[in-house]
Amino acid sequence: MNRIAYINNQPHAFHEGETILKFVKRVTGQEKIIPTLCDAPNLDPFGSCRVCSVDVALEEGGKTKTMASCHSPVAAGQYIYPDSKQVKKLRKNIMELVLTDHPLDCLTCEVNGNCELQDVAAQVGIREVRYPEGKNHLDRTKDLSHPYMTSDMSKCINCYRCVRACDEVQGEFVLSMAGRGFDSHIVKGNDLTFMESDCVSCGACAQACPTSAISDVFQSKAVHTEETTRTICTYCGVGCNLEVNTANGEILSIQAPYDAQTNGGHTCLKGRYAFKFYNHPDRLRSPLIKRNGKFEEATWDEAYTHIENELNRIKAESGPDAIAGISSARTPNEENYLMQKFIRAVVGTNNIDCCARVCHSPTALGMQRAFGTGAATNSISDLEHTDCILVIGANPTDAHPVTGVKIKQKFMKGVTSIVIDPRRIELAKYATYHLQLRPGTNVAMLNMMLYYIISEGWVDDEFVANRTEGFEALKKEILALDMDEMERLTGVDRNLVKEATKAYAASKAAMEFHGLGVTEHSQGTFAIQLIADLVMITGNIGKPGAGMNPLRGQNNVQGAADMGAQPHQGAGYLDVTDPEMNHRYNTFYKREVPSHIGYKIPEMFDAAINGDLKALWIIGEDVVQTDPNTNKVIKAMESVDLLVVQELFMTETAMRATVVLPGASFLEKEGTFTNGERRIQRVNKVVEPLEGTKPDGQIIIDMMNRMGYEQPDYTAKGMLEEISQIVPFFAGVKWDELGQNGKQWPVKPNGEDTQMLHIEEFKNGKGQFAFYSFSESKELEKYSKDFPYIITTNRELEHYNCGAMTRRTGNVDILTEDVLLIHPDDATKEGIADGEFVCVESPRGKVDIKALVTDEMKPGILSSTFHFPEVMLNIITSDEHCSEAMCPEYKVVSCRLRKSKGKFKQMAEASTVVTN
Amino acid sequence: MSKNLSELSGRGGIVDNLFEKMGNAAEKSGTVSQEELDRLAKEFLVGKANTYGTVTAYDFMKPENKGKKAYICNGSACLCAGTQDKVMDSLSEHYKREEIGHMTCLGRCHENSAFHIGGVNYSGDASQKMSEIVSTQGALQPKDAYNVGSNKELLTEAFTDVDAYYSIIHDVLKRSPEEVLGEIKDSNIRGRGGAGFPMGVKWDFCRKAESDTKFIICNADEGDPGAYSDRYLLEERPHSVLFGMMVGGFCMGAQWGILYIRAEYPESVDIVNAAIQELRDRNLLGDNILGTGFNFDFKVIKAQGAYICGEETALINSIEGQRPEVRTRPPFPAIQGLFNKPTIVNNVETLAAVHWILDNGGSAYAALGTDKSTGTKLVCLDSFFNKPGMYEVEMGTSLRTVIDDFGGGFKEPVKAMHIGGPLGGMVPVSKIDDLAIDFESFSTNGFLLGHASVVCIPEKIEIIKYLEHLMEFAAYESCGKCFPCRLGTTRGQEMFAKAINDENYKIDRDLLNDLLDTLQEGSLCAHGGGIPLPVKNALHYFEDELSQYLA
Ligand SMILES: Cc1cc2nc3c(=O)[nH]c(=O)nc-3n(C[C@H](O)[C@H](O)[C@H](O)COP(=O)(O)O)c2cc1C
Ligand code: SF4
Ligand code: SF4
Ligand code: SF4
Ligand code: SF4
Ligand code: FES
Repeated sequence: MNRIAYINNQPHAFHEGETILKFVKRVTGQEKIIPTLCDAPNLDPFGSCRVCSVDVALEEGGKTKTMASCHSPVAAGQYIYPDSKQVKKLRKNIMELVLTDHPLDCLTCEVNGNCELQDVAAQVGIREVRYPEGKNHLDRTKDLSHPYMTSDMSKCINCYRCVRACDEVQGEFVLSMAGRGFDSHIVKGNDLTFMESDCVSCGACAQACPTSAISDVFQSKAVHTEETTRTICTYCGVGCNLEVNTANGEILSIQAPYDAQTNGGHTCLKGRYAFKFYNHPDRLRSPLIKRNGKFEEATWDEAYTHIENELNRIKAESGPDAIAGISSARTPNEENYLMQKFIRAVVGTNNIDCCARVCHSPTALGMQRAFGTGAATNSISDLEHTDCILVIGANPTDAHPVTGVKIKQKFMKGVTSIVIDPRRIELAKYATYHLQLRPGTNVAMLNMMLYYIISEGWVDDEFVANRTEGFEALKKEILALDMDEMERLTGVDRNLVKEATKAYAASKAAMEFHGLGVTEHSQGTFAIQLIADLVMITGNIGKPGAGMNPLRGQNNVQGAADMGAQPHQGAGYLDVTDPEMNHRYNTFYKREVPSHIGYKIPEMFDAAINGDLKALWIIGEDVVQTDPNTNKVIKAMESVDLLVVQELFMTETAMRATVVLPGASFLEKEGTFTNGERRIQRVNKVVEPLEGTKPDGQIIIDMMNRMGYEQPDYTAKGMLEEISQIVPFFAGVKWDELGQNGKQWPVKPNGEDTQMLHIEEFKNGKGQFAFYSFSESKELEKYSKDFPYIITTNRELEHYNCGAMTRRTGNVDILTEDVLLIHPDDATKEGIADGEFVCVESPRGKVDIKALVTDEMKPGILSSTFHFPEVMLNIITSDEHCSEAMCPEYKVVSCRLRKSKGKFKQMAEASTVVTN
Repeated sequence: MSKNLSELSGRGGIVDNLFEKMGNAAEKSGTVSQEELDRLAKEFLVGKANTYGTVTAYDFMKPENKGKKAYICNGSACLCAGTQDKVMDSLSEHYKREEIGHMTCLGRCHENSAFHIGGVNYSGDASQKMSEIVSTQGALQPKDAYNVGSNKELLTEAFTDVDAYYSIIHDVLKRSPEEVLGEIKDSNIRGRGGAGFPMGVKWDFCRKAESDTKFIICNADEGDPGAYSDRYLLEERPHSVLFGMMVGGFCMGAQWGILYIRAEYPESVDIVNAAIQELRDRNLLGDNILGTGFNFDFKVIKAQGAYICGEETALINSIEGQRPEVRTRPPFPAIQGLFNKPTIVNNVETLAAVHWILDNGGSAYAALGTDKSTGTKLVCLDSFFNKPGMYEVEMGTSLRTVIDDFGGGFKEPVKAMHIGGPLGGMVPVSKIDDLAIDFESFSTNGFLLGHASVVCIPEKIEIIKYLEHLMEFAAYESCGKCFPCRLGTTRGQEMFAKAINDENYKIDRDLLNDLLDTLQEGSLCAHGGGIPLPVKNALHYFEDELSQYLA
């Protein structure tokens, strides 16, 4: 077909489906050539403001029709006149009407100078309002109820951008228009304040609003900004790009760039609003050395000397294996690389691990076993190409919010969707199938699914024959299983499982996501391998819209493992015990690196308690609050001679340190984070490190040099140069070439990156099938008789892990405490009312926590979080861990319940008085 | 026009319908309680803001409607007739002022004095029996009477009985959908809902759209004051409408026929439901009808009082329980309509013609009327005629014939007729002899045939007052989505009101013209886009009368 249309009588080719607005913008290269008000980059065209109108004729100079360009597709042969006299007049007349109901006090308005209404008014050249004074909405009052979101509806022009952002981007439906005609007005919920509404503070509406009608407390649309720096969010593994506005070296606000591939103009409240921790008074500002049980401020030199002496002493007395390091998945790749290098090449031990241990170590191990690579096989953008989404043991709308809402958008639009989770999480409400299994029975569930695929003949035979090994053995084992037993174990109707499995197997491209609900189990690695079986048996890998995609928890947990912050593999996942690899490391580091595997985190704690480990260096991780069995972790912390903690805040772990070193936050340093889809993105320094603090990489480098290892001062560029020489899949990664959206590894030496893995063949040649049968967690075997409830831990949107950062932001006013989710039947049985304190006791200890009665849980199953030190939920979690990867079993904890006594009872009573 | 909301609402299918549940919940008290709204929001996963946003947009569900016990018609015909003050007086004897609401046109334009109590419409001299009506609450259901006549009976043909009427369905279902659709195309019938789009072409779009689920909707939201021809068909010829929908469903592969009937026509709802039951009793509905493999069923959705729901995309939003706001096109409903599925919306009168077309052949239909406007048209005449009523005339029949031969001429001096609803043209009596009942005759003369309802503006009513009433209607019924109409109709109404009430104020002609052009050119739909037509007609034909208000 002839795809030519004319703009001011000049012919131009247009794209299929292109709107007139896009066409004219593209051809002229002028973003603002046609004014718009209701249009927004990340929203569907809506057609309410009509200021984008253009004249369109069917022949040159012919009779014209006025059309709104934002939602009218271009048609062949159209003669488009974007600035005819009539449309200019029309636009001006529309703007005049708008101004009849808009306050004329621009000079005092928050967004003066950066207001789309102002811009368009100026563009159309409006000078006066000729209408006599009439009805208006100028007397509407402001809503300042919320820690972040604000509104001043007298400034509203009814463009619906906020409503659409809340719907099309966030999928929360907090906002709507209400009333009709001239009376129509924006409401939050059923006419509530922001604070009373179900708003999740993502800020999408504030960013979308063209005026100051909806904004935020940081006034992020105001023009007081001097500089804008693009960087990457420090919280979760989605890796959202942020635009940080600063003036006078201070951070004013954060917005989301529309061109970011990870988040396209969106964030969650953590990325956009939870930044005020960075200069919080609680920030550590000086090194501290504990003397006689008390911290004393010290100079950097004193602290370094103290550490150096201690490390040398311990190394001399007990050997390098008496020293261990825990690197931080919150810090950039470069710093992780340095930490493991320090421990390996300078200290001389493989005792290095990171928090990947407690989250996705089974994923890395299991996927390596099956495919050869322990990372997401596809990209989040594959959601555009999928027709089935399977979410196992993950609650992404809370834990990976921006990816979570992308998944939710798909669920809402009716893509076949399956959720396997003990809890009726947000996504489960929208899913086609929810398999609400008993915690700890993932393996049984996956066995069932494999059983139906094989027994019903839903296997992708071609894929299995060409790309995999071990199918026959798997088949034999699977077909021998007893579905009655599996049904009983999982507690899920087999027909439902069968139906869901069929939907997964029958789809053209099915995409799998999983989270800690799979890994944090004694059979975590096995479950991962069974998921890999499921993916391979249906041929759902190596193609768009498919794959196996772990939702990596922390912002750089992928990177921390990539960089070798683990005891059995060095930088780039090379096996430390392999002589050839060992040789490579030795040559590269110019030091002898040991070739025996070091301690994993739980082993470090054991070694500390039994006296084998004397020194531990922890960067940015609060193991006391977040690792399981708190009392044991505390004991471990107290057992070592030297505990160095590099931190932003005085966490529960830092309190127990012998030396505390004040590190710098992500806003104060440069480097790269690797998100859950292997995307290496540039973290750019926004402000200088707070006085008294140092970037963590520089701290390590200082120590390396002091201990006789020459390492040049920290620059992200220099570090990447070094890393690219030892980490094979970083071969082509260069600081200056990462661009705005980063690159997905493996990056070839020529700089080409990789969106999808295993297209033609697996990293390890053929995909490996493996069978594992269900075995009950030892925790339940040992304790379920006396501790009949199962508690499973989870995360809340508002807080991040130990909450050291988020609790020092406005988030804490939104979610103020950890609570215990409990089914109404259980609550009745135990005589517990909503909001009352409950004492939850496990074989390890007990905690008191407020009950939230909800049918999100099944009877007998409880759930809670460990964001707040006031509760310290990990006091009750267990020591059990994945038999293969040593990932702790946070998800299955035996416990019993009773109403709290003493002070908690009083606290509950006091708080109900307040809320009443 | 949220795709998410369409999809979520569609999960319950048309059977478990959000909008219907809201309507039912509002039945008793006049509005939906907060708790119920929140419960529905949770059930349908659409959020509290949306259930609230929706009910506040409907006259019969919004919070202000709470406790309303009686409604008085404020449609143009009743206003011009000047009957409503008296009705209000007698209503006021029984109800407090705040218990009396408005309904805009009960379709009793032929005898006026219309009001509504307890689900029943009254008109004519009913208000004289107000005490009895109020005390017996629904026991008294006087049927209104109006003349029906024709110079070519298609739609008004006598109805014998259901079995005889549906005897041709056997043959129809045995033919291929393409063939049946061919007849419709041959007939050249154009939509009677206002836009005049060829029905065959529209059906073909939908037929070609790929989807296992499709819908055909009958637009029975006849909101134009002055029009009651759809009401006639729904109440007197319901099977014509149902038959047409069934055939439509067959042609395009739709499984559901939905009748969206305005709440102001309670009798229509009952009669249509009874007619559907007659089909069910005869096994003409459900799966595998007559063993042909054709599955089809009906659902009646009762509207809740919003004129804009007559616009097809607002109507679709309404059925979904969304706010009745107009959607942008594309996507056209035939491709992506109700619950994001291919959907056809047709007017009652358009659908009612299908039976005759299939019985007599498309070309027989095409032979009637004019070249471009084939078939017949129903025309409604209000009480200013000596013989008010609903007349079926062959397209091309002169307006003079309609007025004099059918209507028997005017009862009292009339200066203009507002033809085709509020968005139709204002025809001065001087133009009567230039016009014939067909689309082209009206449009070439600068008017609009529309639904062909005729509301007379008597000599005694000042044009400026009529214009103010019109703008008030336009503003009140604006969905509020697009800027020109949301703001412009209100500003227009304010200007006319000020000109009437403030003798020092004169409307700036340029400003008024700018406003009318802005509405006409800039509005998203034909509501804002259409309202300038009668105003411009008035400015043109009644310059002498209006000039005192203009500067
Ligand atoms: C403001 C407005 C009101 C409308 N009201 C009605 C109505 O009451 N009945 C109707 O059938 N069509 C009405 N329409 C037209 C419908 O949008 C649609 O074109 C029609 O139902 C299609 O049916 P048809 O093709 O059979 O005419 C209205 C349109 C607008 C813009
Ligand atoms: S902040 Fe997010 S959730 Fe809250 S109203 Fe705005 S868009 Fe909706
Ligand atoms: S609050 Fe802002 S985004 Fe929402 S309708 Fe008003 S002006 Fe538009
Ligand atoms: S926490 Fe995750 S989802 Fe939220 S802004 Fe940061 S990277 Fe994005
Ligand atoms: S013209 Fe009026 S009724 Fe039509 S979309 Fe615009 S505001 Fe709504
Ligand atoms: S930008 Fe096109 S109507 Fe608003």
